[in-house]
Amino acid sequence: MHVSKIIEVQDYTWKYINTSVPALAEINLTIEEGSFVGVIGPNGAGKTTLAFSIDGLVPGQYNGVKKGSVKVFGKEVEDYDKGELQQLVGVVFSDPEAQFTAMTVEDELVFGMENIGLSLAEIKERLEWVTELTELSNLLMKPPYEISGGQKQRVALAAVLAMRPKILILDEPTSMLDPVSRGRIFKVLAKLKEEENNTIIVIEHSLENLVPLADQMILMSESKLVLHDKTQPFFQQSKMLLEKGAFPPGAMLFFHLLHERGLYQGEYPLTVAGGAELLRDLMGK
Amino acid sequence: MNKTLLGYVPNESPIYAVHPFVKLYFLLVVSLFPMFVSAPDWNIILMVVIILLMWISKVNMSTLKIYIPVAISMGTIIFLSYTVLGGTHPEFELLARIWGINFYWERIRDALVVYFRVLPMIFTMVFFLSTSRERDIIVAMRSIKVPFVVTYIFAMALRSAGMVLEDFGIVRQAEKARGFDPAGKSIAYKIRQYVMYMVPLFALSLRRSEEFTNALVARGYAFTGKVSRVKRADYILTHYSYKYFDYIFIALITIAFIALLVYRYGYGYFQVDQSWLLRLLRSWVS
Repeated sequence: MHVSKIIEVQDYTWKYINTSVPALAEINLTIEEGSFVGVIGPNGAGKTTLAFSIDGLVPGQYNGVKKGSVKVFGKEVEDYDKGELQQLVGVVFSDPEAQFTAMTVEDELVFGMENIGLSLAEIKERLEWVTELTELSNLLMKPPYEISGGQKQRVALAAVLAMRPKILILDEPTSMLDPVSRGRIFKVLAKLKEEENNTIIVIEHSLENLVPLADQMILMSESKLVLHDKTQPFFQQSKMLLEKGAFPPGAMLFFHLLHERGLYQGEYPLTVAGGAELLRDLMGK
Repeated sequence: MNKTLLGYVPNESPIYAVHPFVKLYFLLVVSLFPMFVSAPDWNIILMVVIILLMWISKVNMSTLKIYIPVAISMGTIIFLSYTVLGGTHPEFELLARIWGINFYWERIRDALVVYFRVLPMIFTMVFFLSTSRERDIIVAMRSIKVPFVVTYIFAMALRSAGMVLEDFGIVRQAEKARGFDPAGKSIAYKIRQYVMYMVPLFALSLRRSEEFTNALVARGYAFTGKVSRVKRADYILTHYSYKYFDYIFIALITIAFIALLVYRYGYGYFQVDQSWLLRLLRSWVS
């Protein structure tokens, strides 16, 4: 099956104005259509700037110096007209509060669709689809200040999904949420992965939910892309991840420690359930 | 009862059946009535009518107390402007002289006339805010074809005000958590300490503006360029339609306004010297 490269970043360096070090340095990255990519790394590593660069917010909304190229669907991000790239790339930010621009959940969901010129019938159809997907049907008439943080983040996700972008970027979407709300966000992402052919990039610190979904992982550290690989081999390098301040999920860490002590040599399990299975097999031997 | 950014609205109310434009029309037109009425009697009647409308609309009257400070401060400012700061007028009737300040009947009368013009305007606004959610205002504006960008900027202003209030609450809680309690302190102390709130609030507002702009761009919104010229569907308006009673209300408000103008300028009604209330007060203070 032919898989097209929809994001191509080459020798890309970005330095915000009035800063001494670049936020991103010499980044080379290719992402194929339909991939689910997890991005991890400590604070200040450049993850958000990378997301903004793919969505055109950098350099569109920020002043700075750019070197290299960031192409989306083969076209440099600056070459897109205002608002054109955002129809292809949707971004969900970490703070749900700041993403609400309207007075009710419904207004928020339809705002993006109206912006891209959809007809009333299309808006209605997509609204039904997205509210069902994100379980927001009973909140449509609520104003933003009356719903919980988890609900707000689902609204932010739904508002972007309703625009049906080919690429969806989520920048720490669950950083302000409790485990239940976090699970619901990833449930939506799992459905998207299963049912749609979106390319999804998730920047996240909490890996328990992300790892089972991700096809590939990226490690960012000190403005650089340090590691990009398929999920399993990526986490086999847990020693390096730990050195760079990125902590693998507990189950993986446990098997990594076993490996360090010479008690285990195989692949690290990606989930707690996988870890339990593996442990049972090991105990049985 | 539901909290809005602008006040409180009832959970259920017959007025929700009315199109938002009618409520906005009521606000805009009826708040003009007192400008053509000098006699406080009529303005008091208008206030009674508005209170009746609030009662019919199931507005929780206890929530209206948040507007009492506004009414009192307006009254105080008007009274002081017309009396203490009203100057010397030998041609007016002097009622009393207290601490060297002259209190003339005409100035007190004028203060009352102005105050009873302002009060119904406040009542009309309170009625509107107590029966309309933020969305109603936007819908009303869009239904009379106010350009989208104008209604959107208005909505963003409301949203931003709400966010500043939420941030203010967070900053206040953070200050309290660190042992700051202004209860029982002097006003000067409170003002000094409130300035302290402004610094984080200002920094937060700057950050919010950046995030807000990013959110707008990420939703494909642009004030200029090709995208800004895309023909927008207005999905929200599809939820609202004018009913026969909306037209009746619009007609009634319009007729009442025209009648007011005719009686005011055609027959000389609503003048100060026709006010029985002022006559009663005049006889009482003399």
